[in-house]
Amino acid sequence: MTHAIEAAGLVKTFGRTRALDGLDLTVAAGEVHGFLGPNGAGKSTTIRVLLGLLRRRSGTVTVLGRDPWRDAVAIHRDLAYVPGDVALWPNLSGGETIDLLTGLRGGADLTLRARLLTDFELDPKKKGRGYSKGNRQKVALVAAFARRAELYVLDEPTSGLDPVMESVFQAEVRRVASEGATVLLSSHILSEVEQLCERVTIVRAGRAVESGTLADMRHLTRTSIRVTTAADPAAIARLAGVHDLQQEAGALVFDVDTDRLDGVLAALTAAGVSALTATPPSLEELFLRHYGDRVALEEPAA
Amino acid sequence: MIRMLGLQLRRDRLTMAVWILGTALLALGSVAAVAKEYGTHHEQATVLRLALANPSVLAFRGAPNGASTGSMLWFELFTWLAVVVGLMNTFFATRHGRADEELGRRELVAAAPIARSAPLAATLVLGVIANAVLGLLLAGAFAAGNADAADALTAGATFAVTGLAFLGVGLLVGELAPTGRSANSIGVAVVIAAYVLRAGGDALGTVHLSSLTLHPAWLSWVSPIGWGEQTLALTDDRVALLLPGLALALVTAVVALVVHARRDLGASLLPDRPGRAAASPLLRGTFGLTWRLHRPALIGWAAGGAVLGLATGSLAHAAGDLAASGSPQIVQTLKLIVPGGRGELVSLFLGVLMLLVGLLAAAAGIQGALRMRQEEAEGRAEPLLAAPVSRSRLLRDAWIVGALAAIVVMAAAGVLGWLSLIGTDPDVAARALGQALIELPAALVFPGIAALAVAVLPRAAVAITWALFAIAIVLGLFGELLRLPQRVIQASPFDHIPNVPFDDAGPSVILLAIDVALAIAAVVLIRRRDLTT
Repeated sequence: MTHAIEAAGLVKTFGRTRALDGLDLTVAAGEVHGFLGPNGAGKSTTIRVLLGLLRRRSGTVTVLGRDPWRDAVAIHRDLAYVPGDVALWPNLSGGETIDLLTGLRGGADLTLRARLLTDFELDPKKKGRGYSKGNRQKVALVAAFARRAELYVLDEPTSGLDPVMESVFQAEVRRVASEGATVLLSSHILSEVEQLCERVTIVRAGRAVESGTLADMRHLTRTSIRVTTAADPAAIARLAGVHDLQQEAGALVFDVDTDRLDGVLAALTAAGVSALTATPPSLEELFLRHYGDRVALEEPAA
Repeated sequence: MIRMLGLQLRRDRLTMAVWILGTALLALGSVAAVAKEYGTHHEQATVLRLALANPSVLAFRGAPNGASTGSMLWFELFTWLAVVVGLMNTFFATRHGRADEELGRRELVAAAPIARSAPLAATLVLGVIANAVLGLLLAGAFAAGNADAADALTAGATFAVTGLAFLGVGLLVGELAPTGRSANSIGVAVVIAAYVLRAGGDALGTVHLSSLTLHPAWLSWVSPIGWGEQTLALTDDRVALLLPGLALALVTAVVALVVHARRDLGASLLPDRPGRAAASPLLRGTFGLTWRLHRPALIGWAAGGAVLGLATGSLAHAAGDLAASGSPQIVQTLKLIVPGGRGELVSLFLGVLMLLVGLLAAAAGIQGALRMRQEEAEGRAEPLLAAPVSRSRLLRDAWIVGALAAIVVMAAAGVLGWLSLIGTDPDVAARALGQALIELPAALVFPGIAALAVAVLPRAAVAITWALFAIAIVLGLFGELLRLPQRVIQASPFDHIPNVPFDDAGPSVILLAIDVALAIAAVVLIRRRDLTT
């Protein structure tokens, strides 16, 4: 089996809404795959189809080599899942919830469980209703990571975590990846995906608009530069890796391929810089810039 | 404050309207029924004499005061309506108090430029208004039953004051309890305790058969429901007995306001107990989980079954004595109390009481089977179904827990009925137990219907199932009274249950087959649908 997840032409409708509109997704075995898209793009719906919680209207899909609707139970023996919106049983403690969920998959690895509780700084005695959003998420994360799985499906798992906990989470993803597991990580935060994922699929309005390695998507990982400089705009525009140069109120505004930053900055400092801001483009900006027109054309149909 | 009042009124308009109108309609219906069934002085005297000879009837109903329609109404209605009014008020207080705070809505409001006590004060004002409206409507209901205006108003005021006492208690509990759930549990416990104290006081009271009156023991005098009952609003003029209820309302409300002004948002006097750090072996599977989730409710239902079983015991005993005494007049009167009208008296009594138990068991079963839907709608089924667990298994577990709940309720009622009769009348004791068990196949239809509805029409499942259950109640308890056609009454599974002793077990076997078929159909059909939130 070379592909952990293979989906082609997935369609899912809810009444008149087309939540998935011919979505393709391929995740190779052993890779950490980013699943990116703005809210409402169909990420969670896709994941629920992959889990066999929703039945596709058309298209083909296999997860770990099987049909997720027919063989959900068999697939789930080798799968760990963290939902995007974690709901806990109000009168069960966090520890009980973790044991229940791992127990259904065959039982937690106890040393792993203990270490995860420490790393995530989670009090397992608190009742479900007493946890904050971040802590509810930690309960689901510990339950997912406390027993080894072949495939980890994580739906926006860090949306409630602080930066320290986010790094704990990233360490866990790297651990399971180094052990050979496959990870599907859905997110609407580009930087998180950049740090963890080898390949990325970007969805928009129920379709995959881009899929490939991060290197393939260099155009998505450009840095936006706004600089006040004495350098000649035409010379800067000719530098390798510079795109979309414009002059705005005495400043130069352009994008640079991240791996060409070195050369561009060297050229700028040589000419003299009086002010500079560099920002990674937000996902929303990327979408606007790269798919804005196409999406706008498709919107009436959707 | 005014805005808070508006907000709470807006949020609660439907819920409170249903509670208030429902209670008033219940009262109106009962007033009409009592007037129709015990219309004459003679009937009233017969029934009340029977009641006074039977402490368990006094505990179950209340204190009579002479043979009159007013006495009859107060005896039949007051304590039960007081329980409804008490629950309405404690639930109301929690809805706008601790539950709001726990779910974080209070934080939003408290950050606005309003006084810290404004939400609590608004709840108090709205509660007073609600109880006043309820009191007026109930006064109207009694006036419609030919009570004179002053008596009807006193009666309405008695209910309103009883309600206020529980409103104060509810507000105070909201300050003390850590969660909305625990606040509601404590509130229910307080209302039940008030009822039980009153029941004990009336059962242990001094009976005057000649005047058909009862002087309750001291237990009744420490219960808000006891104070209300003793106003004897429809037959006597003891308005002063409204004062203890008012005083309780005032004291609890003031203490609640003081505590509220001094404590932190989210803080509570009673701590939330920590749970276990690891799950017990019982909680390792979905069945263990479903059982654990349903256990508190199940204990409540079983306690209800046990109480009905005890009542069955003493009532059947009394009925047997009366039937043996052979006075045709009394037998005739008893047949009037009991809807139905076939079979001999003891069988009839057992049949009707066990029908009540059967309905209780059906409700417990419905709640258990619908658990699956609740878990699904609130997003907690998703992580389970993402583990190697099928939807069929979740629904099967919910149905089994529902069926077990129904069985536990019937068994509690049957065994306690049996225990309470075995010393005096072994034959009737066996019949009570038998009648309880024979109702089971009918009760088990309902968890099956609930499971099937969850499988096929998830979004409407809760409404459909409870609506069908309500229809079964109407058919079973009021079908003959309302003179519905026999074919319609037969739509209820309970109509096919024979009275013990019986010859033909056929209908029960068919019902059992239907129960199993419903469950299997549900478990198979749920495979075909999406997870639906």
